[in-house]
Amino acid sequence: MQFDAIVVGSGITGGWAAKELTQAGLKVLMIERGREIVHGEYETELKAPWEMPFRGVGDAALYAREYQVQSQNRHFNEYTQGHFVNDKDNPYTTAPGSEFNWLRSYQLGGRSLTWGRQTYRWSDYDFGANKRDGNGTDWPIRYADLAPWYDKVEEFIGVSGAAEGLPQLPDGKFQPPMALNVVEQHVRKEIAGKFGRCMTIGRTANMTVAKPEEGRAECQNRSICARGCSFGAYFSTQSSTLPAAKATGNLTVVTDAVVEKLDYDPKTNRVTGVRYINTKDGSRGAATARLVFLNASAFNSVHLMLNSRNDAMPRGLANSSGVLGTQIMDHPSTLSTIALFPQFNDRTTFGNRPTGVVVARYRNMDAMDGVGHSRGYSFQGGALQSNWGAGKREAGIGTALKDKLHSPGMWRMVLVAFADCVPRDSNRLTLDAAKTDRFGIPQLQIQFAFGKEEQAALAQAKADAAEMLTSAGGTVIMGMDQPGTGGMAIHEMGGARMGHDPKTSVLNKWSQAHDVPNLFVTDGAQMASSACQNPSLTYMALTARACDAAVKMLREGKI
Amino acid sequence: MVQPVWGEWWPMQDGQPTGWKRRDFMGAAALVALALGLPTAAVAFTELDEKDAPTSHQRTLMKEVSQLVIPRSATPGAGEVGAGDFAILVLAHGLENSRKPVKDTAAYARFLRNDGSVRHVAWLERELDLRAGGDFLGADATRRAALLGALDAEAFASRASESPWKAIKALIVTGYYTSEPGGSEELRYEPVPGRFDPDLPLKPGDRAISNDWTAVDFG
Repeated sequence: MQFDAIVVGSGITGGWAAKELTQAGLKVLMIERGREIVHGEYETELKAPWEMPFRGVGDAALYAREYQVQSQNRHFNEYTQGHFVNDKDNPYTTAPGSEFNWLRSYQLGGRSLTWGRQTYRWSDYDFGANKRDGNGTDWPIRYADLAPWYDKVEEFIGVSGAAEGLPQLPDGKFQPPMALNVVEQHVRKEIAGKFGRCMTIGRTANMTVAKPEEGRAECQNRSICARGCSFGAYFSTQSSTLPAAKATGNLTVVTDAVVEKLDYDPKTNRVTGVRYINTKDGSRGAATARLVFLNASAFNSVHLMLNSRNDAMPRGLANSSGVLGTQIMDHPSTLSTIALFPQFNDRTTFGNRPTGVVVARYRNMDAMDGVGHSRGYSFQGGALQSNWGAGKREAGIGTALKDKLHSPGMWRMVLVAFADCVPRDSNRLTLDAAKTDRFGIPQLQIQFAFGKEEQAALAQAKADAAEMLTSAGGTVIMGMDQPGTGGMAIHEMGGARMGHDPKTSVLNKWSQAHDVPNLFVTDGAQMASSACQNPSLTYMALTARACDAAVKMLREGKI
Repeated sequence: MVQPVWGEWWPMQDGQPTGWKRRDFMGAAALVALALGLPTAAVAFTELDEKDAPTSHQRTLMKEVSQLVIPRSATPGAGEVGAGDFAILVLAHGLENSRKPVKDTAAYARFLRNDGSVRHVAWLERELDLRAGGDFLGADATRRAALLGALDAEAFASRASESPWKAIKALIVTGYYTSEPGGSEELRYEPVPGRFDPDLPLKPGDRAISNDWTAVDFG
């Protein structure tokens, strides 16, 4: 098979690469290791709990055997289990002393089907962070480089949100925001007045205005997105980029095919294509192209580059720097506080809003006011009323219990901190020296730990969260200050970072390998720092930008 | 009222349970899978230890205990909708950490599996009989409620308590509110709200929404 471009992976960035490259007129192969999932044919989407074999909560025995890691995800359940990998069939290893929960979705659409849909721009506080405190290597781009691409992506995928005029969380091209509920409205006012901090509704890739021309309806407020949404109301490959790419007539999609290696020609210093294994029958295949885009997810793209080592590049493809695999990151995150707000117990809401709120970063911006850390943190969460779930955890039986659970219960507000993760050489990916998977491919080994900076940020976040909600009239009942296991934010990134210098980075400012000009890596692997915002929007904007650059280079005969 | 799915999973003969045979169970599961249009592969059951198969007495007990936890009012109680059977099955499968080893192995020695977890239903059966000074199910309704209420209060009195009752109760509650009567008659089931109203008055007796999953997780 011969193409102009091969896109490895079909998730959030793979879909964007396929769309942009096909719309530019290139013949594109999108190759996906998982099964095909057809938009609108989501098996569990419309089922009630009593129509599910295990009532939607799932078969705990099965999960203990085959989904030990994936089942740690709060959105993993009987409805969504088909959108996560089977851990037994998809092993990885961790270095001695490391723990890392690698949460994955191998299917057409990848994690675009299961993502949290939070959509935030990064700012120059983020792109300038490495330069300012000396951790990691400097980003070769700044906000102005990416702003038009953020515009393009937001307008296409559909993002609802409120403009707030914050330099640390730049406004985007928003559809009308979803509403803050009655308690959140109150807390927003209180913390703005008392602390000058901004709590705003989550900026989410759930649409509040339909796009009938794209066959996408507005959000129905079900909040069961990870099952798949036949309304097309949230951004996924299936709902958005895949139909656009297919409409060009330039796209070929191959599923159930895991790419094992990229082929490299040392005479031309170009990658020439990919070699893949059919996951159903084990047969092997190959495809060639003038361009290769890696969008296999941060760790899998790095894995593929490491496994594509060859005589000319024995440390891994495009790894003359030796930094491939290093400085991986994930957001340290914890439940900073829960506070009760009984004064609102005569109020309620209707509908399952599919987003929470966000408290924009306020530390270490123009004044360095972090205690023991030099970067930022932000809170996500929301106010909610308890329902029958509370009956599982409290004393009481009989009519009194049934009557209590009959009506919505106590209002509470939850704030979950997400902090910057410092890029460190000691957090890295390698090929396991001994273990292989069922296809004979070396397993990925993850070495990862959070450090003092992350601990300090979450400790300060806990104190801040309690202070804010207490001052807003809440009664704090608990809070935590230790990060969970690495990977639990599902924002794993880095490993093939962008940078100015080929000696200290893998990619240039166009997400293009310094060493191999026709190789682009536009998923989370390219990140040089983590910020404290959710990263998917930035991956998408960088992908669209890289596609534009690659097409120009191709047309100019530079690659 | 729709027949509870869980009740249909149990092999019955002349209206009486015939005990738990894995072969029968798998067959029933496959039928349910077909009825629900699910791929049979989605119903992947673990090998159930013979000792986890409930006796007729245990099923009756769990039905009665479920009904005590959530009794009939204008809507059915938890025992009537099969929450007892649901709890028995998912306790054996490990929901609510029911297959995690207990710390106080001495206290639960006679109910321990090889993996160090407690056979919750067997424990409950004996515990209630001990408290009743005989057959719990033979006590009158008022006394049964009082005995179970005391057990419940003791279990939830401390966070540190690892009483097996906590998991049993949690799964009875789950079984009830994820059943059609519990989820859509006792509470409201709103699969497609279509809008979000951020601030509405709440009046006494207003029904909660059973499928507010964020509330279930965090509430």
